[in-house]
Amino acid sequence: MAVLKTLRNLALGALLLVSTMGAAAPSEYQVKAVFLFNFSRFIEWPREAFPSANAPFVVGIFGHDPFGRELDEVVKGETVDGHPLVVKRVQSAAEAAACQILFIHHTEDQRLAEAVAAVASQSTLTVSDVPGTTQRGVMIRLVTQDGRIRMRIDAEAARAAHLTISSNLLRSAQVVSAASEGANP
Amino acid sequence: MTAPAKRISRQLMRMVLLTCVIVIAFTCTMFVTYEAVTFKQSVVRQLEILGQAIARNSTAALAFDNPDDARAVLAAFSADPHIVAAALYDESGALFAFYPGTLERATLPAVVGTGGYNFVDRNVLGFEDVSLDGQKLGTLFVKSDLKAIDERLELYALITLLVVVLSVLLAYLVARHQQSQISRPILALAETARAVSDGHDYSVRAGRAGTYEFDQLTDAFNHMLTQIQESERRSRAQMGRMSLLQHITAAIGDRHDLQSIFQVVLRNVEENLPIDFGCVCLYDSASATLTVSTVGAASRGLAEPLGLLEGATVPIDENGLSTCIRGRLVHEPDVRELPFPFPRRFAEARLYSLVIAPLLVEASVFGVFVAARHTPHSFSSGDCEFLKQLSGHVALASHQARLHGALRQAYDELRQSQHTVMQQERLRALGQMASGIAHDINNAISPISLYTDSLLEREPNLTEKGRAALVVIQRAIDGVAGTVSRMREFYRQREPEMTLALVDLNRVAEQVLELTRAKWFDVPQQLGISIDLKSDLAPGLPGIMGAEGEIRDALTNLIFNAVDAMPAGGTLTVRTFARPAPGETQLVRVEVTDTGIGMDEETRRRCLEPFFTTKGERGTGLGLAMVYGMIQRHSAEFEIESFVGKGTSMQVTFPAYTQPLMPATRSPEAHVSLRRLRVLLVDDDPIIIKALEDALTGDGHATVAASGGQAGIDAFSDALRTNHPFELVVTDLGMPSVDGRRVAESIKSRSPDTPVIMLTGWGTRMIAEKEIPPHVDRVLGKPPRLVELRVAIRELLG
Repeated sequence: MAVLKTLRNLALGALLLVSTMGAAAPSEYQVKAVFLFNFSRFIEWPREAFPSANAPFVVGIFGHDPFGRELDEVVKGETVDGHPLVVKRVQSAAEAAACQILFIHHTEDQRLAEAVAAVASQSTLTVSDVPGTTQRGVMIRLVTQDGRIRMRIDAEAARAAHLTISSNLLRSAQVVSAASEGANP
Repeated sequence: MTAPAKRISRQLMRMVLLTCVIVIAFTCTMFVTYEAVTFKQSVVRQLEILGQAIARNSTAALAFDNPDDARAVLAAFSADPHIVAAALYDESGALFAFYPGTLERATLPAVVGTGGYNFVDRNVLGFEDVSLDGQKLGTLFVKSDLKAIDERLELYALITLLVVVLSVLLAYLVARHQQSQISRPILALAETARAVSDGHDYSVRAGRAGTYEFDQLTDAFNHMLTQIQESERRSRAQMGRMSLLQHITAAIGDRHDLQSIFQVVLRNVEENLPIDFGCVCLYDSASATLTVSTVGAASRGLAEPLGLLEGATVPIDENGLSTCIRGRLVHEPDVRELPFPFPRRFAEARLYSLVIAPLLVEASVFGVFVAARHTPHSFSSGDCEFLKQLSGHVALASHQARLHGALRQAYDELRQSQHTVMQQERLRALGQMASGIAHDINNAISPISLYTDSLLEREPNLTEKGRAALVVIQRAIDGVAGTVSRMREFYRQREPEMTLALVDLNRVAEQVLELTRAKWFDVPQQLGISIDLKSDLAPGLPGIMGAEGEIRDALTNLIFNAVDAMPAGGTLTVRTFARPAPGETQLVRVEVTDTGIGMDEETRRRCLEPFFTTKGERGTGLGLAMVYGMIQRHSAEFEIESFVGKGTSMQVTFPAYTQPLMPATRSPEAHVSLRRLRVLLVDDDPIIIKALEDALTGDGHATVAASGGQAGIDAFSDALRTNHPFELVVTDLGMPSVDGRRVAESIKSRSPDTPVIMLTGWGTRMIAEKEIPPHVDRVLGKPPRLVELRVAIRELLG
């Protein structure tokens, strides 16, 4: 396990290093998998978000799964406040409701609103790499700028979902507001 | 005087400031050292905290691969200007971001070090892990220079300097104020010392300053002053006593009688030592008593209650006095404690302290000096020493006075002896002259005597008138012979062997009164003066052994003196009586008393001296001297009582002779020898030859005259040769060329049986002194009496 994690971290490091250097860069979704995992560490979920103390921390992939085994490898054996991290592929909105993080792949552009609406009343972090200039209800949008993956965070939406985002994360990301999006497309 | 004080204050100031600087410098140094050490640690600590904070903020940048964010986070280091470099490395050790942007990448470490902070080349290098939930995300490198420490140290140095300066300034002000508290008492002490030394006033005392040490010093100083004062007082007293001693010594040095010396000493000691009572007593070792010789003038009031008036005697008791007599000074500080009688007297007179000093000369005490005071314990050791020394001086002066007196007496005696010797010399010369005159007179009157005797005896046809005239001549011759005989008394020194006979003083007194009748009766009567004679001769008076002539002469002299002492008349008393004496002996006394002018002390003392006279040219000054000589030769005693204006009584006392009185020897009768003798007469004086021839031929003798000694010897030799010898030779003693002794010797050598009668002008003395020359059978004095001649011839030739 430890060996694996070390390997993974090394892999991430190598990936980041490679991506920085612009040669033999890790795949996009390898990076995004690590991002998803890292969100669990920079964001705090309320207790009510879990049905029980040892209920799993579920990372849901809505619709199309671009990660393959990559994400599973990343979260394997990890816990968040005692909750074991698990990856769940969800296809329906009903399924999405049980997730703490819900990733919506840009290919699911049409079903994005459905997915967002499915978790709107609960503490589920919504992440998507759907392109565009607006959030479209997603709390964290992953965008690629200058060959790097960047985050746009709708902090108000996260706050409304009772999620506490670390200031470190906020500083490293671009914070947007759904209310201002209209005026600033 | 101010210079040392200033120096002390300056020194105090220097001390205070130096102490202040040292303390502050030390404190600051310690503080800075501490700071330098701890500041390094705190710099590291701050760097560590900063690094940790930055590392924590860098997690998201690393986690989400955001170098811009990382750079933004690292830019927070700009808040600390001393952080010269910082870098973030990812998990694989690749450089992720660095600060500042202008930094040369080569200056960053190529390899990520382990965690921790190290000093390298005046920089602090640190590596901080960046991790999240225990998972390492990367490493933060921080590099900080040490200028902060330098700045801090500079600041500290500045503060230290400031503190030192301020402290010194403050200390200076405080010390300046405080040092006066130290210097003021010292100055005050110095002022006091100056006052003492300038004014020689040792009664000055320094005031106390109020601090313990200065009070100690001041007390010590004052104590010293007290001691100096006491010592000065003592030396003044000692000087006073020395000067007094010197004064007294000078005053008594030229005095030669004890009383005067003692008076001077006592008066000076009474006034100047002083004492309340003082006296000098002389010691008599035979009776072991002290006799008060002199009492001080101011002490006389106390002398009576003490029983120490001049002349009083004090027995030596067994305490102080006997100690003093043994030559030691006695000091009784309080006589009330003593039981002995002498100190008791002083205690009763309320003289409580007593000093008795011996007067010592050549290790023997001849007196004591007594000094007393009312106050007990008032004689200091200095006083005692003074009295001891004074006594020594007084003793010496007294001794010198005595020696002076003895010397003076010896000198007087010597002068007297010299005078006497001169008088004796005069007397001897006078005696020789008198002797010659007597010889000549005796020779001259010898024929008169012989012829008068012959005429009275052999001329029956003389008229009554002529016979009476011859008797007068005979008496006159006797008188002249007597005068010449008395004249010899002048030069006769002493009877070598006095012929003593039993003498009846009453008979001698009667004879003398009869002989001197002219003196005491006839002459005064002619002058109209009346002298009554009272003769009180005790009947049955014992006889005495003596020379009657001398006693007669002495009595005559006494009567002459008594009469001369009564130029206006009076009563002359001659009295004899006997009185018993110790033992079985009796004393016989004869007194000659007058009621005349008497003698004063001087005259009475000197009246026995030879040549002392009160009669001017009339007196020889030998009368009483002769009387005194007689008295000495008879072992008699001589007393003189005399009162000026009342009269004089001269008393001579002889020891009585206890044998009964013998009848006086009868004078030999003159018988004319029956034999007719052939007589050789030898004399150089033809008149004497003629007188002797006439006298002897008148008795029937045949005479042959030889003029001179040699002629006499020749005539005797011729007579022997012609077988017609002389049966008797009568020769003079004093003849020129061959004198009577040679003649007698020559006669005896030729005819030892032929008697030789010698005639001499000195004959009487020769007989008296038993100086009959050898070869002479009989000596007869001139003028020869016919009777004596006949007796001698009869005794020699039958």
